[in-house]
Amino acid sequence: MKRAGRPSEQLTVDELVRYGPLGRAETLVGENLARPVSRVALISDLDQVRHCGPGTAVVLSRGLAQGAWAVESALRLAWERSAACLVSPAVAGLDQATAQLARRMRLPVFVVTGDTAACALDLAAAIASPDAARARLAARCAELFAERSNARGIVGVINSEVPGVTAALVAPDGRVLAGQASVDRAEHRVQVDVPGPDGRRWAELVAATTGPSSPSWSETVLLILRLARGPLAASVARERLEAVHGAERGRAALRALFASAGADPGPAAQKGPAGRDRGDDGLAVPEEALGWRVGGRHVAVFLRSSTPLDTAAAGPGVISAWQEAVDDLPLVPWDTGWASWWTGDRIEVEQVASALRRHLARMRSPIPLSAGVGRAAEGAEGLRESLSQAMLAAGVTVRDGHGTVRSFDELGFRVLLASLSQPELAGSARTVLADLLSAPDGPVLVTTLAALLDCANSTSQAAARLGVHRNTVLGRVERIKARGVDPDRPDQRLALHLACYALLPELG
Amino acid sequence: MTGRSITVADVPALLAGAEFFSTNAAGEGIEFAGFWLEDILARTGPVELVTADELDPDTPCAAVGAMGSTVAMAELPPSGEEPLVLARSLAGRFGAPLGAIMPLNAASVNALQPVAAAAVLGLPLIDCDGMGRVFPLIHQTTYELAGLSLSPLAAVSAGNDSLLLDTGSARAEQIARSITQAAGGWLLCGMYPTRVGRLREAAIHGSVSRTLKVGRLLREHASDGATAQALVGDPPWGGASPWPAHAGPGDGEWSRRGTAPHERLLRDLTAATGATVLGGGRVVELGPSPRQAGIVYPGNPMSMVVHDHDSGRLIRLEAHNELVLALADGALTAAVPDLLCLLDRGTLRMTGPERLTVGDQVDVLCVPAAPVWHSVHGLGLGGPGAFGFPLRHPRQEGR
Repeated sequence: MKRAGRPSEQLTVDELVRYGPLGRAETLVGENLARPVSRVALISDLDQVRHCGPGTAVVLSRGLAQGAWAVESALRLAWERSAACLVSPAVAGLDQATAQLARRMRLPVFVVTGDTAACALDLAAAIASPDAARARLAARCAELFAERSNARGIVGVINSEVPGVTAALVAPDGRVLAGQASVDRAEHRVQVDVPGPDGRRWAELVAATTGPSSPSWSETVLLILRLARGPLAASVARERLEAVHGAERGRAALRALFASAGADPGPAAQKGPAGRDRGDDGLAVPEEALGWRVGGRHVAVFLRSSTPLDTAAAGPGVISAWQEAVDDLPLVPWDTGWASWWTGDRIEVEQVASALRRHLARMRSPIPLSAGVGRAAEGAEGLRESLSQAMLAAGVTVRDGHGTVRSFDELGFRVLLASLSQPELAGSARTVLADLLSAPDGPVLVTTLAALLDCANSTSQAAARLGVHRNTVLGRVERIKARGVDPDRPDQRLALHLACYALLPELG
Repeated sequence: MTGRSITVADVPALLAGAEFFSTNAAGEGIEFAGFWLEDILARTGPVELVTADELDPDTPCAAVGAMGSTVAMAELPPSGEEPLVLARSLAGRFGAPLGAIMPLNAASVNALQPVAAAAVLGLPLIDCDGMGRVFPLIHQTTYELAGLSLSPLAAVSAGNDSLLLDTGSARAEQIARSITQAAGGWLLCGMYPTRVGRLREAAIHGSVSRTLKVGRLLREHASDGATAQALVGDPPWGGASPWPAHAGPGDGEWSRRGTAPHERLLRDLTAATGATVLGGGRVVELGPSPRQAGIVYPGNPMSMVVHDHDSGRLIRLEAHNELVLALADGALTAAVPDLLCLLDRGTLRMTGPERLTVGDQVDVLCVPAAPVWHSVHGLGLGGPGAFGFPLRHPRQEGR
């Protein structure tokens, strides 16, 4: 902070309450706290109030405050002199009527239990050196930041300690990660970038001040925001680290679980040594330690993304978004996506699918996700099977975009088609069906051919599925046959069907 | 009063007036004195009420008044023979028999005691007093301000103990007050023995007539109040405020019919006494006041707040036996020695903090004290400072 040469601005009553001597006083009336305090007057005779200038903090000595009448008399005189606030010793009978009067006059009143003379001295010291008081505030905030371990706590320190300031941590997409969303609409704002673990801008810490603030106050707020930046970056790094660590523990535990139950459902890469599997760190993680229920009836789900996936990079984001939306279920990185499961004696696939749809809609995932749901099955072995089914189903839904959830049973045998190596098969299919595709309405013909094969060559059923007239389908079949493709040849049917399925996703 | 005398028929009005000028608490429970005085007057006949000018200036006279507790006096009323003892004591010191009686203060029970004394002694009662209200101490008088000596003080107790104190005013007060405690709770005193001629300067004239006049007003309106209560179906003189929260006099039905009974009474009282109405409304706060007054006043300090219905102001009243001062929104608007009175809108009677509860509707009146009380000496003896309030009387503000 550059302080040299600038006259210190006056502290407000609010500042004296938040980090000044009035913080220890009881607030009888806390209205109109934004007034600056120019000086302090310790009053032992009511007449002395008449000599106070505007903005004075009027402190009543114990000898004067002989009852509510004396406080009210002083209140009245202080109000007439446009005082900033009144500080009174604790007086019996100082009650609602006095508070009501002070509220009507919009004059803050504080009650001190100890010696008001000491309070007056403290006030005078604070008012004489606003910068010292503000530095104390910054120091206090820094101390509290160090005690908080998450972003919410750190932003909360600013909101609770810094008078007249509301703060929020805002993601680049405008999403409020912590703090008060109202800062976005505030007129007077101070903000700093908060770096993520990679050193790049991760979010913005925004503080809104009520009303136009003095330059030195803005500087104080900015200083506090800067002080918060380090702890915030550390907290997000810690959160990500914990997420990754937790995910790895989960993966190790799941592998161990499946190994003990039988073969691994994942591809070769997931296969571990015989017997109880060990985590990457060489330690077996008992699933009980993770709070999993292994026994009972499970329905597994598998989440994956259509985007080329760097699970390690997107993982923490996906896992924290999942934990935000679904706090009671694990999400374990598995193969090309993430596995989870519902457990319960009466759990049903439809129930899980609809719950998952809701969760996916709510999740603020950094990448688009779709999911498959396996069948319900018992025990670790059942879970393994259910997860295999969910993975197959997810292979289909991944083409349908974010938020799609389908179950293994709903998709039937088609799930198999999704697990065929997509690029290779699609390339071959384009070659095989080149003639058909070269027609002006090639894509339409391929779609029609697929529908016809799906419906066992029933043109009326295919027409109903495509939503066109049967004659249209008949016309298209004529054109398909004219291009040398005969859907009626039994020896070609399977290959033809596969080729259509391979092309369908890219035809949209 | 028929002509220039006080008869049995005047006692109810005298009692009501005495209650008004008692500035609240001291007027409580003095009804017994009415019956007592009626008995005496029925036996002795009317008391002649004279002005000081009507008497020979050399006529020896003395002030009569009771000190102590009215509650104690109600339990152990005077026999009626006490004034004879007082007169004998003072005549012994004077060297001549008393020729007239004047009241110490024509308010509270002391508005009645001098009448009884005059009746028993067969002497005229001078239409004046030394306070124009009630003060807690017997030397807070205009007699004192004018330099009359309080002593020799003749006193008779409830147990018919008799004593004659010859000392300074403040000491006489202190000694007599401790004797009061020991002797049964009250003392009837004869004091400020002087000649009628000195009263021209020393007394507040017309006090007894004024008390009677205000008393008659209150009596007239009291019958209105009873009628008003009959209209809303409540028994007259009910303990609590008989007005339902939203159908009291002064609003709703009453406003539509014309002036509410309490407004008519206030109008008449202000005309009769020169009083001003500080405000009126609901009592919102009532409780003991923790004032650490270093003064040996009997009684407990109390504080109450009235929310003025019209202006929304908060009127805080500090009481110490009497209502001592009124702050409107923290600004001192009225203080002793001026009289502060509370009118209960429900019963149309004068009332005080000890008879009120939060929620009652009252009007706050301020009756200006006699001009001599507003002098520097007057305010020193009976102003806010004398009651332990480090405040300047509103009349001193401009000085």
